[in-house]
Amino acid sequence: MKQSFLEICIKSFAWFSGLFLLSAVFLIMCYLIIKGWGAFGFSLVFGDVPPLDALFLHRKVFSGLFPAIVGTYMLVILAVGMATPVGIAAGIYLAEYGKERIKSFFSLFYDILAGIPSIVIGLFGFSIAIFLHRYIKEIYPCLFISAMALAILVLPYLIRTTQFAMENIPEDVRLTAPALGADKLQNILYVLFPRSLSGITSGVILAIGRCAEDTAVIMLTGVVASAGIPKSLMSSYEALPFYIYYISSQYRTSQELQTGYGAAIILLLICAGLFLTAFFIKNIMIDRILYRS
Amino acid sequence: MKEPNSENNIIKATNISFYYNKKIVLKEISVEIPECSIFAVVGPSGQGKTTFLKIFNRLWETIPYARLEGEVNIRLNGKWINIYEKSVSLPFLRRSVGMIFQTPNPLPMSIFKNVAFPLKLSGYKDKLLIEKKVEDVLKKVYLWNEVKNRLVDDARSLSGGQQQRLCIARALIFEPEILLMDEPTSFLDAKSGRIIETLLLSLKDRCTILLISHSMEQVKRIADLTMELSII
Repeated sequence: MKQSFLEICIKSFAWFSGLFLLSAVFLIMCYLIIKGWGAFGFSLVFGDVPPLDALFLHRKVFSGLFPAIVGTYMLVILAVGMATPVGIAAGIYLAEYGKERIKSFFSLFYDILAGIPSIVIGLFGFSIAIFLHRYIKEIYPCLFISAMALAILVLPYLIRTTQFAMENIPEDVRLTAPALGADKLQNILYVLFPRSLSGITSGVILAIGRCAEDTAVIMLTGVVASAGIPKSLMSSYEALPFYIYYISSQYRTSQELQTGYGAAIILLLICAGLFLTAFFIKNIMIDRILYRS
Repeated sequence: MKEPNSENNIIKATNISFYYNKKIVLKEISVEIPECSIFAVVGPSGQGKTTFLKIFNRLWETIPYARLEGEVNIRLNGKWINIYEKSVSLPFLRRSVGMIFQTPNPLPMSIFKNVAFPLKLSGYKDKLLIEKKVEDVLKKVYLWNEVKNRLVDDARSLSGGQQQRLCIARALIFEPEILLMDEPTSFLDAKSGRIIETLLLSLKDRCTILLISHSMEQVKRIADLTMELSII
């Protein structure tokens, strides 16, 4: 069949848009690698400390990115670890238990929460730290407060993706277990939740990305330029996005700027590693839940 | 419809009306169904045949804005109960009144886990007993020889006809007294459909089957009684 002119136009526009996006990603990657490659290496991460000494915390790293990498990892794992159970539970509630009116009411609020600029969430975390400091003198802006604020930032993604994943399960799958005598909770645990895991994982991945890259929230809630490896949840810490921001605005030599690019590459690698971990955990869970007899 | 012998009845539904929103789907239907028979429900699409089946295991109750009027009594374990009374436990009702859907709906698990799933739901722990029951029921649906060496495979790797027999096996594991079947052969090829028909005939001495069917030939071949749901 001959395609109409309009159809050809729409098709080419769609192709062009897809290619445009791909080439943008490709260009950014290339740019980062070209700019940052020179700084890349063990010394970027560990400075002048032998890597093994640094990894086992025998010696402190002052001139490398190691503390910032550890800080970023801890921050992401803490924040996503806090947000995931709450987000999934809230999503399940909205999809399975919430009555129509409550549902639309809550959904509106989660959408508003998703739209709040991260700097405002940062201010909120900061206020909480100050409020707590009034009663407990040991509390300052710290790793825990940052993680909590980031968890609030990513909650709406987790809630909504869980809700949509569950609501989009086809009716015949939804009725399978009840028709065999399952009660509502059993249906959720054995059928609906495992079926939604893929969707939920994409929400978790979004959350990981958001936590790893966000600078505004952590800037107000405890990140500093030089703190070393965080000693506890209550101490300040370093993080890669903040390092990148700091270096790009205050670099003195071109070498310093180059470490900023190196940090950006490392941040991307960390994100990729965390995404893969999320997929891995999902596959293990599906295997455990579904195929073990 | 032929007159059923009322002493052997297993289902007695009186003045059933079903509403969805304000639309009436079923109107004042009364029916008595004798046990150990195949009771076919026929009629054009969109006349509420599936809804009619779901009345007997209360599966319609998840539909928002739906409402049922009338009384449904079923004889379970020799005792008549009104299945819409508050004291009736849904898991018990649905174990006694199994349902097979139009499209085979194995869960994304292994063949074994699919068949054992209802046992898991009611908390069976004894592995040997579970294995025995799974084997028995798979033999009952003529599937054992085809799957005995691949019980750990994903159930969705079976053919359509095998999947449907697996679903029947899963519904049979608690030896239900009634089986509701919503066009169980409509998505299968003729050969697989015939296997299922033979299976239904062999199940008839143990349970009562309510069968929705689009094929008049099928109804002629296997049904004892026929009811037509026609335009209201």
